[in-house]
Amino acid sequence: MSPAVLEANLQLKRGSFALDVQLTLEPGEVLALLGPNGSGKSTVLDLLAGLAAPDTGTVALEGAMLTAPGRLVAPENRAIGLLGQEPLLFPHLSARANVIFALRVGEAGLNAADGRVQADRWLARVGLADFGDSKPGALSGGQQQRVALARALAAGPRVLLLDEPMAALDAETAPFIRQLIREQLAATGTSAIIVTHDIVDAVVLAHRVAVLHEGRVIDEGTTSAVLAAPRNPFVAALAGVNLVVGAARNGAIVAPDGRMFRVRPADATALAPNAASDSAVSPTMPAAAVFRPASVVVQTEPPRHASPRNVWSARVTGIEPGSGGVRLRTSGDPEIIAELTPAAVADLGLQLGSTVWLSVKATEVSAYRR
Amino acid sequence: MIPRLLYVPAGIGLALLVLPLAGLLLTVDWAGLPALLLSPQALQPLGLSLATASVSTVLCLLLGVPLAVVIARSRPRVAGLMRALVTVPLVLPPLVGGIALLALLGRGGLLGNTLELVGLRIPFTTAAVVIAQTFVALPFLVIAVEGALRTAGTRYERVAATLGAGRGTVFARITLPLVGPGLLAGTVLSFARSLGEFGATALFAGNQAGVTRTMPLAIYTAFNGSGVTTDQAVALALLLIAVAVIILVLVGTRRASVLS
Repeated sequence: MSPAVLEANLQLKRGSFALDVQLTLEPGEVLALLGPNGSGKSTVLDLLAGLAAPDTGTVALEGAMLTAPGRLVAPENRAIGLLGQEPLLFPHLSARANVIFALRVGEAGLNAADGRVQADRWLARVGLADFGDSKPGALSGGQQQRVALARALAAGPRVLLLDEPMAALDAETAPFIRQLIREQLAATGTSAIIVTHDIVDAVVLAHRVAVLHEGRVIDEGTTSAVLAAPRNPFVAALAGVNLVVGAARNGAIVAPDGRMFRVRPADATALAPNAASDSAVSPTMPAAAVFRPASVVVQTEPPRHASPRNVWSARVTGIEPGSGGVRLRTSGDPEIIAELTPAAVADLGLQLGSTVWLSVKATEVSAYRR
Repeated sequence: MIPRLLYVPAGIGLALLVLPLAGLLLTVDWAGLPALLLSPQALQPLGLSLATASVSTVLCLLLGVPLAVVIARSRPRVAGLMRALVTVPLVLPPLVGGIALLALLGRGGLLGNTLELVGLRIPFTTAAVVIAQTFVALPFLVIAVEGALRTAGTRYERVAATLGAGRGTVFARITLPLVGPGLLAGTVLSFARSLGEFGATALFAGNQAGVTRTMPLAIYTAFNGSGVTTDQAVALALLLIAVAVIILVLVGTRRASVLS
């Protein structure tokens, strides 16, 4: 195993809230810190960034102690960047000048002339080459967040902390920014920790997930492993979706067991290699399909009208109470969960081992590149 | 969308502010004005006023901006106490300020004695004028800048720090530009307050022509008729109003260009 970029062991007590967290981050790895509001996610980021001090504990970056008893290296000397919900572009500086600022004061330490050249490259990377002279007030929320991403990466952080960077964006803009963050983190090889309560952020951006609950990491592992076997109600609620991690092919996601999941047209276009903003996408691009258990239709006969649907047969491997009725677990890799009313379960005469036909409309399946 | 009744007190208020100045303009002897304005009795106090007010405004900036930053970034209780201390000279009659300055820096005063030993005598010098003006003008600058700093918050400064900017860089490149409008307003207010300062100056610096006789003191002297006519006082007052209006117009256009 390669040496960790970041190793943190943090304890903090504030009133009735107690935080006790151990985290490690491998080089180039993206860790999602999942948790409900008030679980201490943002506090962890402040402690890592040096914006706050823990009661006890340590933060080590590439072996160097940043936080330790009697020692708190200032945020500006940590090389740990922060991208929050709000872009917080300096309002008196143009988009370009915001990035130049990061290039001059950050790891690069460029002079004004070199900073200008590099800043324009960074703006081009986030698709804003023509907006260098714009003041933040003249940019949309999504554009501001793109500049903020360029600025955060231009500073050359060893680790970038992302604090729900999509939370303040509207539903149309968020997926675009999410993909951009994914691409740029990969392109720069930046190790990152993203704090979120959105499962999609974890699926798209992260290699690994740590679940934070009441100040403690209660579950940790690969995204699919943590979601497949939820150990806490919060994760279960998050995992109340079917998640198929596989490869994108011809506008569909291919599951590990070979099942094809056709996805809604808008997402299929985004999965097509020619629509991708980076040109070097292989035909079997890693991707994930997400759909709600309630969208899965369960029948005991093969359905006849199946044009825009995904249809497959499976065996019932579990019947358990769920939040919206009965949860039916069905065989396959990954297992797919269907949710239906108790009456429907009785009508269909379902029991463990029954063979069922499952279908889900393509329009109900959203897809994400990974 | 406002109750019509409000227009009555609003009109009276505006009249109270404008009519006296209109009355002043009516009493001006326009034919004799150029000669009065170009006389040494007018130009000397004007020059002294502009010079001392400029120096005290610079002093206000050098001392007031750091003070405002310290207050804005202090814990609430400490900040509240410091804010109250800064406000005292603002609500004090300037005459009392003059007496207080004499008590500190005058003969037999707390610091005055020590200064006397090294051969420094502050009262009744041009330096005393500057100190008196700074004393009364500083609170205006501190309060304007401190308010702007609190509104701006520390979020931008924190982001700048995570990008790798040291404290000095953050202060110069982020904090100061962010409070630019408040800083400008505070500067204008303290310059205007210095220019109009009378009470503390009269007591602490006296009224010596060419040394401590600033425009307000010259107007007072002229009005009391010590060898000059009332016309002289009116002319000087007009000059002071003109200077004030020019400053406001200059700042107004500056602001408009910043906003556009």
